[in-house]
Order: sequence, then C-alpha cells, then structure tokens
Amino acid sequence: MSTLPKSATAPEWSRLVSDSLTQHGAWYTYLKLIEARGAYPGDLSLRGYTEILRTTIVRDFLAHPKAMQAVPKLTAEFLSNFDRFNLTAQEGYLISLIDGRLDLQKLLILSPFDQFTTLFNLAKLQHERAITVPQ
Amino acid sequence: MNLNDKFTIAKYLKSPIALVSEHGAIEWRNDAFEATFGGDAKDWLKQAARALAGESGWLQSFFLDTDAHHSLDVDIEGRTYRIDKIMQIDDYATPTVALWFEDVTLQREAEQAKSDFTAQIVHDLRGPLSGIQGTLEFILSQDASKLGTLNADLLTEASRESERMMSLINEIMDFSKIQSGSFAVEQEPVRIAGLLKRAVRSLQSVAARDEVFLLTAHGRDIPQIIGSVEKLTQAVINLISNSLKFTPKKGLISVGAQIVRNGEIPEAIVITVTDSGMGIKATELQQIWDKYKQSGTKSLRGGGGTGLGLYIVKQVVEAHGGEVTVASIEGVGTSMVLKLPVKRAA
Repeated sequence: MSTLPKSATAPEWSRLVSDSLTQHGAWYTYLKLIEARGAYPGDLSLRGYTEILRTTIVRDFLAHPKAMQAVPKLTAEFLSNFDRFNLTAQEGYLISLIDGRLDLQKLLILSPFDQFTTLFNLAKLQHERAITVPQ
Repeated sequence: MNLNDKFTIAKYLKSPIALVSEHGAIEWRNDAFEATFGGDAKDWLKQAARALAGESGWLQSFFLDTDAHHSLDVDIEGRTYRIDKIMQIDDYATPTVALWFEDVTLQREAEQAKSDFTAQIVHDLRGPLSGIQGTLEFILSQDASKLGTLNADLLTEASRESERMMSLINEIMDFSKIQSGSFAVEQEPVRIAGLLKRAVRSLQSVAARDEVFLLTAHGRDIPQIIGSVEKLTQAVINLISNSLKFTPKKGLISVGAQIVRNGEIPEAIVITVTDSGMGIKATELQQIWDKYKQSGTKSLRGGGGTGLGLYIVKQVVEAHGGEVTVASIEGVGTSMVLKLPVKRAA
C-alpha cells in the first residue's frame, strides 16, 4: 500500500491491508486508509477496514501490563519542544489532563469524549512520543 | 408471425401467462389465464395500472424495475399469486411485459400456520427461561463467599448457557416473522447514540466476564433516524454477541457511529461493530449474511448458534432502506458495517 490506487474500482482491501499491516505496522496502514477514503468516499468496506485498524491500535495500547491502571506521563521531548507537536483540539484537551498521577480509568471518566476516541487519541499521542506510559 | 405462433408453448402451459401493457391492457393471454381469471382480469389489471404506489400499484413496479426476474406476491380476488416478469416485450406501442402467475395461496397459508406455531412455542419457552435467568442472576448477586468457588463457576456457566438459549429463541422468533412476511418496521424516531449505549450496556457484564474490553465510539452530534428502536437495538446486540464469541481475552470490541454527509446535510449513519478477534476467511466473507451460514472459525466460548443472527441483522437493516457489509482480516479482526439512511419528513 505504498501508493494510492488510481482506478475508481475498489481494490481488494483485505489483502492490501493485511500485507501493509505485516510490512509497515498499524499506524502507517491506518494513515494510508484515511488517505484512501478521499478516493473512495462511498466505500463501506473501507470504513470497516479503517475501524479494524483503529481497534487494533487501541487494543495494543490497552495491552499494557497495567491496562486501565497504567499512568501516562508527558515526555521530556514534549515538555521541552511542544511547538513541534501539531495537536488537534481533542489531543490538546487530553494532554492538558495528563499530570503523571491520573490513570487511564480516571482519564476516561474526566474526558468529555467517548471512551474509544479518548483511548485512540492517547495511543496517537504515545505514537508521536508526546506521552509515555511507563510499565 | 402472430402472437399465438410466437407463444405456442406458453399457450398450452398450465400456469396463467399474459402480456400486459403499462396501462393494464391484456395484449395476449394463454388458455390457463382465461380459465383462471376470465373476464374479471381486465378490471383488476386496469386498477393496478392506475395506482401509482403501494401494494395496489404492483403492476407499475414491473415497469419501473429493470430486473428481468422481478417477482411479487399479490392478492387477487381472495387468493395470493406470485407474479414473475418473464420478459419485456418491445413489439407494442406502449411498454409491455410478459407475466407468469402462480397460485401460492396454500403455500402462504402453510407458512402462516408454521409462523403462528413457532410464535406460540417461542412464547411458551421464553416465560420459564426468563424465570431461570432471573433466579440465577439473583443467586450470583449474593455474597461470593457463601456460594463457594465451584458453585459460583457452575452457576456462571448455567447463566451463560441460559443467555445463549434466550438469544437462540429470539433469533427463531425474528426469523419466523421474516419468513411469514410480518416483519414490519415501526416508523419512530431513533436516537442512534442512545441505542448504541443501551446495546453496549446490555452486554457489558458478559464482556467483563469474558475479559474483553467493550467500548463505544461515537460523537454527540449523531442525528436521529426514522425506524424501529427495538429491531435496530436487537441488530446491534446480535453483532456484539457475535463479536464476543470470536474475540479472545484482553481483546477489544468497539461500537461506533459516523455521519455520512452530502455537503453539509447528513445523508446516512454508518454503525460499525468492530472486534480484534480471529477474523473471517476471505472465501467466507460474502456468505456470512446468508441464512443458516456459520463461520468455519470455531467460537472461542463454545456453543453454536442457529446461523440466523447475521441474516436477521441484514433483513432489519434492509427493511430500513439501508445496506450491510463486512470487512475482515484473518488473525486481526472483523468489522460489521451497517449504513442507515437519515429519512426526513416530507
């Protein structure tokens, strides 16, 4: 999945996504699928594959040994150079809640967003190294 | 070549056949048609041609639908006929179709009797089973130390199996309604966000027991649609239950809704039930919505089903004017996708 398909006929997503997942990992594949949604806006199965990727990303985030009791912390890189991070409004709000004491369970209660969106945004912040979740 | 030469075989067939124009005029008919309907046919055909919509306007649907195999069950003079469009005839000034009539009255009566019998059996089974479930729930809510580990495990297992039995009974009930044609969809406002929350809440304890994360994923601005709250909730519950069967411990199921817009106007709602389960083989993906079809993948938590759950979901969604699809990657997960149109008042 290195380039977007040019044809209007929907590609065989199952194989493409599976191959990309093996070769490039969940985040790369997810971002490529988001890109592909521009080319295939009416493709329902593409939405399904995007959701599988989002679910995989959140599942991996929750695979932390402490699961919901894990406590996220801001990274030194974020604290010293936060201008580098191009945060969305939701990510910005969530990062403002992270104080190194609140665990995921409490963050979910405090977050105004739904549980899945909150965890997905936290996983994205971890992927971008704005936060870390020590073991 | 006159019409009798052209339709020699059709002329002597025992099933009524007629060539009917879009105005309801009979251009040609075979002997069986004449014997069955006689002169009254021109009256009800004209009437069907004049009605533009609804059940009485059935004749128009044969001209509007270009599907060569269009078929309809129509009540004519106290009997039910299955009418098939054989072909479109272009020899006339006005569009004309060849229609084949089959008397399915006895078949429909038998289906209705079967459906009534099933409904009675299901009703009789539900009562005592609800009692068993309530009793088990009450015992399990007591102090764990009084129950003892072995008893608690056995009671939990009994509770799980009674839930499964209730779900099978409900599926048989819905299937029976679909088969008898009495599967009507109510026209009430449906708040999708509330519906998803209720569906998730009803299975949260099952997910916790199976050590699976079950999360909702939808914004606050999801518009309401018109349809049946009960049937759509049951459809989402069916999908979550299905995901629970194939998602391992520490796995995740997300239940979400997104808006499909046409410019600024919400056009449809897409509901997704996605799991990090075992996935479905690519060769099985297209058949999973068929009745009596079950995945070749073995459920992680034992116990088969009727193979009707996903078929019922598809029927519910299509009855709302929507569509269903599935995405799956073996070993990674599956996403069931339901698209429901946002209907507006005229």
